[in-house]
Amino acid sequence: MSTVSLAFGPPESQAQFRRLVAAELLKLRRRRPLLLAAVVLIVAPMFVSVIGLAILHAANPAKYGPAGGVENLRGTLRLLTQIGAVAAVLVGVNAGGSDLAAGVFRELVVTGRSRLALFVARIPGGLALLLPFVAVAFAIAATASVALAGSGEAPGVGLLLEYAGWVGLVTTVGFALALGVSSLLDSRATSVGVLLAWQLAVAPLLLQTGKLDPVLLGAALKRLEPGAGSASTSLLTALLLIVAWTVVPLAAGAWRTQTRDA
Amino acid sequence: MSAPYVVETSGLTKRFGERVAVDNLDLRVPRGSAFGYLGPNGAGKTTLIRMLLGLTRATAGTMRLLGRPVPAERATALARVGAIVEEPRFHRYLSGRQNLVVIAAAREREAHGRVEGALERVGLAERADERVSTYSLGMRQRLGVARALLADPELLILDEPTNGLDPAGIHEFRNMIRGLVAEGRTVLLSSHLLDEVEKICDAVAIVDHGRVVMQGSLAELTVSRQTILIGSSDGVRAQALLAAHPAVRSAAPTPEGIRVTLRPGFPMTAADAAADINRFLVEARLAVHRVEPARASLEERFLEITSRLGVAA
Repeated sequence: MSTVSLAFGPPESQAQFRRLVAAELLKLRRRRPLLLAAVVLIVAPMFVSVIGLAILHAANPAKYGPAGGVENLRGTLRLLTQIGAVAAVLVGVNAGGSDLAAGVFRELVVTGRSRLALFVARIPGGLALLLPFVAVAFAIAATASVALAGSGEAPGVGLLLEYAGWVGLVTTVGFALALGVSSLLDSRATSVGVLLAWQLAVAPLLLQTGKLDPVLLGAALKRLEPGAGSASTSLLTALLLIVAWTVVPLAAGAWRTQTRDA
Repeated sequence: MSAPYVVETSGLTKRFGERVAVDNLDLRVPRGSAFGYLGPNGAGKTTLIRMLLGLTRATAGTMRLLGRPVPAERATALARVGAIVEEPRFHRYLSGRQNLVVIAAAREREAHGRVEGALERVGLAERADERVSTYSLGMRQRLGVARALLADPELLILDEPTNGLDPAGIHEFRNMIRGLVAEGRTVLLSSHLLDEVEKICDAVAIVDHGRVVMQGSLAELTVSRQTILIGSSDGVRAQALLAAHPAVRSAAPTPEGIRVTLRPGFPMTAADAAADINRFLVEARLAVHRVEPARASLEERFLEITSRLGVAA
């Protein structure tokens, strides 16, 4: 049975796939350090940011504007995508590598279930853990941007929806990249090291040079950011880049999952 | 109709670079038996199991599992196979029950409903909600068996399953295996523990250097082809007469009778030699009340057969 038919085929196949996804989610949500990291890296920065801006505004309204409004929303959500990317890496690496690290991958393989199905189930399983945290963080930022807009411009529903889509996209792509890389490599520690070095050091440096924008994921995501001003990358290029940065690592991870000795 | 053999391999070979781990292996495991796959460490036992289960690819040869060719029909075949390969591994931060739920999710829908029964069967129901990190090795072995039972298996493949079990645990395990066989399941038990295999299994294959050097029922394998027992009313005279027979290398008194070791290379089968010795003693007017092949322990047979241990001995 193909993975496509498992996910979208007859009801029994779909139920089977849902059970695999639920099992993936169970494995992730019972990992307390991972949940703590998600709270600290995704939700907590939103609280800190909003509360900090509110305190500054209350202390010196002449110097600091209201804590809400479009500009503060933009800044807060950029923070969310940057720090949240670290959480996406951690969740993706755990989703991709924990079975192998624990030695449970072979136990799953001997069930006869297709390795591809086992791999594909990690995607919705991991996102089911990650996206609710992102949604909560986004809700905090969005609520504050409207409620604390004061005399400033409050974001409309349309802009909020655009931002919600963008934040979701950035998080999902970061997760997919981490999932693919960790499924490709044998070590979770190596995967985390490589991905964080890329996300936090190498990619920002390359973005600053501006010379590699046509191939950098960060440039493509920036192109899609609501109200992001001038862009060095066309919309089509940006979309193709995002698809490539998502599909290629996932395909590599799926290939490795199918071919590795368990 | 069910295939008579649950495992059939033909010319199965696995190479790791220059090293041959499994060498042109022909193996048949009869349905409904407890089958011991016996060999010294490094003989290729685990490699065979890993190939059967699709954990690693064969270099050459064919395999059938429950009558189905693998890897072509691997998914269908493995749906009714439970296995423990080497030490059973788990997500240690999950409870025993949660670990079974994770595996059940990868099996058919009914597997989820077997979780409680499997935990009960291996005696872990009361500690099923504790994290696996708190389990002893013996408990993890039992949880591994519970996990294998989620398949409602026709075939259970157990690789060194008694590792880490205390004597009481080994006794329970032995009874559990016999219980599973009594239910009509087949158990393929890979081990280097001769005593365990002898107590649990009906049939055995002895493997060395990646090849099966002998396979058959335990009764067949433990019948010595070189030693016979002779009972006589006059043991002293019988022993003296036997020393003169050309087929006899040695004759030693034992509590069961005179243990006669036949001369290797003597141009006569063991059965014919036994008959000839019997006639020889009777013609010498000695009353013979027992002539039978001596039974060797599996350990003796193993040492006799496996080249490595044979050389070492």
